[in-house]
Amino acid sequence: MTIYIDNKPYEAKAGKNLLEACLAAGINLPYFCWHPSLGSVGACRQCAVKVFKDEKDTQGRLVMSCMEGVRDGVRIGVEEATAKAFREQVIEWMMTNHPHDCPVCDEGGSCHLQDMTVMTGHDYRRYHYKKRTYKNQYLGPLINHEMNRCIQCYRCVRYYHDYAGGDDLNVFAAHNHVYFGRDKDGVLQSPFSGNLAEVCPTGVFTDKTLKEHYTRKWDLTMAPSVCTHCSVGCNITAGERYGKLRCVVNRYNEEVNGYFLCDRGRFGYEFVNSENRVTQPLIRGRMSEAVSEEELMHELSVLLSQQKLVGIGSARASLESNFALRQLVGAGNFYAGISETEAYLTRLIVQVMQEGTLHSASLKDIEQADAVIVLGEDVWNTAPMMALAVRQAAMKTAANNAAAQLSLPAWHDAAIKELVQTDKGFLANITVAGSPIDNIAQVTVHAVPDDIARLGFAVAHELSNTLPALANADEKLLQTARQIAAALQQSKHPVIVSGLSCVNSAVIRAAFDIAAALNNTHWKASVAYVLPECNSMGLALMQAPSAERIFDSSNANDMTALILENDLYRYLPQATADAFFSRCSNVIALDSIHNNTTEKAQVLIPAATFAEADGSMVNYEGRTQHYYKVFIPKEGHIKESFHWLNSMRIAKNNRSNGHGLSLDELLHEAEIEMPVFEGVHDAMLSPHYSIHGEHIPREPHRYSGRTAMYANLNVSEQKPLQEEGESAFGFTMEGFKGQPPADAAPFFWSPGWNSGQSVTKYQQEPGGAFKGHIPAVQLFHDKVDKAPVFFKDIPEAFVARKQKWLVLPQYHVLASGELSSYTKALASLLPEACVVLSETDAALLGVRDGDKIRVHPGTTALPVKVHLSLANGVVLISAGLPGTEVYNWGDWVKIEKE
Amino acid sequence: MQSLTNRAKPVDRRPMNFMERMYLPAVLKGMSITFSHMFKKAPTVRYPDETRPFSPVFRGLHVLNRDEEGRERCTACGLCAVACPAEAITMEAAERKQGEENLYREEKYAAKYEINMLRCIFCGLCEEACPKDAIYLSETFAPSNFARKGFIYGKKDLLIPDPKTEAADLAKAKGTN
Repeated sequence: MTIYIDNKPYEAKAGKNLLEACLAAGINLPYFCWHPSLGSVGACRQCAVKVFKDEKDTQGRLVMSCMEGVRDGVRIGVEEATAKAFREQVIEWMMTNHPHDCPVCDEGGSCHLQDMTVMTGHDYRRYHYKKRTYKNQYLGPLINHEMNRCIQCYRCVRYYHDYAGGDDLNVFAAHNHVYFGRDKDGVLQSPFSGNLAEVCPTGVFTDKTLKEHYTRKWDLTMAPSVCTHCSVGCNITAGERYGKLRCVVNRYNEEVNGYFLCDRGRFGYEFVNSENRVTQPLIRGRMSEAVSEEELMHELSVLLSQQKLVGIGSARASLESNFALRQLVGAGNFYAGISETEAYLTRLIVQVMQEGTLHSASLKDIEQADAVIVLGEDVWNTAPMMALAVRQAAMKTAANNAAAQLSLPAWHDAAIKELVQTDKGFLANITVAGSPIDNIAQVTVHAVPDDIARLGFAVAHELSNTLPALANADEKLLQTARQIAAALQQSKHPVIVSGLSCVNSAVIRAAFDIAAALNNTHWKASVAYVLPECNSMGLALMQAPSAERIFDSSNANDMTALILENDLYRYLPQATADAFFSRCSNVIALDSIHNNTTEKAQVLIPAATFAEADGSMVNYEGRTQHYYKVFIPKEGHIKESFHWLNSMRIAKNNRSNGHGLSLDELLHEAEIEMPVFEGVHDAMLSPHYSIHGEHIPREPHRYSGRTAMYANLNVSEQKPLQEEGESAFGFTMEGFKGQPPADAAPFFWSPGWNSGQSVTKYQQEPGGAFKGHIPAVQLFHDKVDKAPVFFKDIPEAFVARKQKWLVLPQYHVLASGELSSYTKALASLLPEACVVLSETDAALLGVRDGDKIRVHPGTTALPVKVHLSLANGVVLISAGLPGTEVYNWGDWVKIEKE
Repeated sequence: MQSLTNRAKPVDRRPMNFMERMYLPAVLKGMSITFSHMFKKAPTVRYPDETRPFSPVFRGLHVLNRDEEGRERCTACGLCAVACPAEAITMEAAERKQGEENLYREEKYAAKYEINMLRCIFCGLCEEACPKDAIYLSETFAPSNFARKGFIYGKKDLLIPDPKTEAADLAKAKGTN
């Protein structure tokens, strides 16, 4: 439909509000309380415009544009004198109590309030009285609180409380002293608290980890990157100055993370600056262990000529690095650095997804689902952003239903919330030990993995009679199955979420069966399988056998093992890993951080982290995403793993034809070698990409101190570091000055919009797709007409064994991936490792909360935590926390009282 | 060719007469001008023992200011650095800790503050940009040093003496003692 803004016609989408329409049309209209993900409440009164009755109307009436829907032919005035004066006054009024402490405020330079104040034209202060002041609260090591800067837009509580479901941040008091905070000082409990720093339009909530090494946004060298802490692969922008990674902020991706990140992703970057980094090539057992690159390559050329060379790939290394390793050691000698169980389960998922009968659900698909079943996956802890998406599905379904009743527009947040009250869309959360999303679920089941799978199969049977029924099932389970099936039948596009945290293949099969049974003309179901690490899917697609399979080969002795970015002690039980190392005569490890595996290495090579490297990763849904170097480390020896591996390949073959060495050549080679990766090189911006012959600058044009930054090292201005080979990005502020392609924008900035909200200028419409959006590279292709092949092998019901327990991992939301626990701020929030037992089992063993028990074959005794709804016969052990031991998950173990 | 101004004098190109060819009168005339200057006031000053008065807007080397209580005014907001057309200023901010209130005026301060004086063009935009009255261009100029490194002015070179503990130094620096 057409709307008239200041007498100029614009196209607008139906169902939007006037503010969204104005922003989509590229008009600068100030706002605070409205947010594309949160909707409108009309709290700040900032986005006032004039609406006219018709062409002849000159008077018009003042409305809040975020609270007025788009109508065909509506005439509005943004530049109208009354509207402008009103907006200026609102800012002036908000600024009466604002402390004007921009010089010491972390938000300064990327502040929505600054931008909006300049936009309205308010400049001089006329209020000369005492300002209202507040006491600030301690909100934990991640978020800083400075309440005086507040302008009462209510975005923080609306995000934290309504959107993310946190219950420990709220709004207190009234009138001119409204307070946003906790009821008392304390750590914010939600693992999504970091988004407050971006949601808050001013500096009330800021990133506390950034404070440790504060840098203004304009002084950061930034690059588009991808989070490496779980298999979701949220898009991030990482910023560097002085060779240190300073902060990570959200990089909008409509289909993946939208506007938000979890705390693990946002604050888990600091391992890059860790003192524990490997910075120098080491050859152990020499007089001086740190060696030069020539000495290293000399040593390696000897080691690599050994007969039994095996390569251990990594689920947290990029596709390129894994492929380079595979090429170096040969496909037959390439193993995945994961346990056999994990390899088996991921292979099963790959097989299911490659069949193509089911659509692989992106986070956006999950958010838009009208029914969600979480089957056995502890999403909250293994893929936090997916848990947030599941929550949105439940909230949005209820909101959509309510909105349809009264034909309310979707953006009318306050009205819809009023109508919805506590209604939720359908969510069945079926887990081993429960999760925080239980409180929004209609059906919550806590059961052992086999019973979870049986419930899944029972639901599938209810949905499709052709599928086998459960043998000797109890009535309660069938009743639950019927309830879930009935809800699913009401839905149109349900999503089934499952994954590896149950360590049970039947759960994965059951999830497939439910989704496949729902995938026909009536329903469009999709499925999401959560994997443990950021590139687990990429590694799984390489179809390499697990590291445990090395023992199968008859002559697995005196091996020379090349271990790529992998702490084997995190994936294999200690005994297995020790056995592996005892059979290796030489261990070459490539890693960025010292860990138990690098301790075993004779040759240790410094690998780059995500911030210093280019690379591609495949997320849980088969989406290939590319991340780009943020900076080149000062320690010149740190290089991308694939770089080292390529050099080794040349050293080993003793010749080089100069091919297959650059990143895109390596990806091309991978595509030829493994057709499953076809198209992966499209995920990256070609190294030859330029706009009018210019690079995309990684630094904003206001970047300061260029001739002074390194003046203490060398007085003459240093030549900026450049990558070897070509790149679409430059490391300075020089380059293309216009808007870069939004999908690979190193940072979001637009004239007049310094804060992260400038992303609107890169979108086709607020909260929509990017301008010139390039479709993501999906490695799984939907095949519409293919009939699914159902799984029909249903496991027997779980029976608890005597004196033996089924051992399962219990991950923590801030540390299910390896690297985030190396971050100081997050490490301080990690709980102590513990063993979770059911009440009956604890009584059976004669232990109470806090008593120490030893789980065989583990060596350390851990405190007991009694869980009220955990099934008997299962023991959950903290996994992924620093120092925790690894068990053969899904195996039976003995427990001994200390 | 038409002359550009009306002040052009035509050159006398006649051959010199006898008196002129002797040169002596011309030499004497010149020497008399030279000797007459011996009795006039010297236009130069004996720098550095003597200096000329400065204009109040003179832009010399920078100083980082303190407040009356001797606390550093700079909060490392970065505005001087971003305003600097020569990109000669760089700094790193730090948070004031408890017990440091007597050192720093506000909750942030510059842990490191450097000006590359070889790059600086003394335009004074930093002074103009500063929201905290922290950076001023002083009347000192012509820095000299034996090494290029000496021209990288850090905080210890820039900060003015503490008015409370180093009052005498401050007065000397100001030239008011």
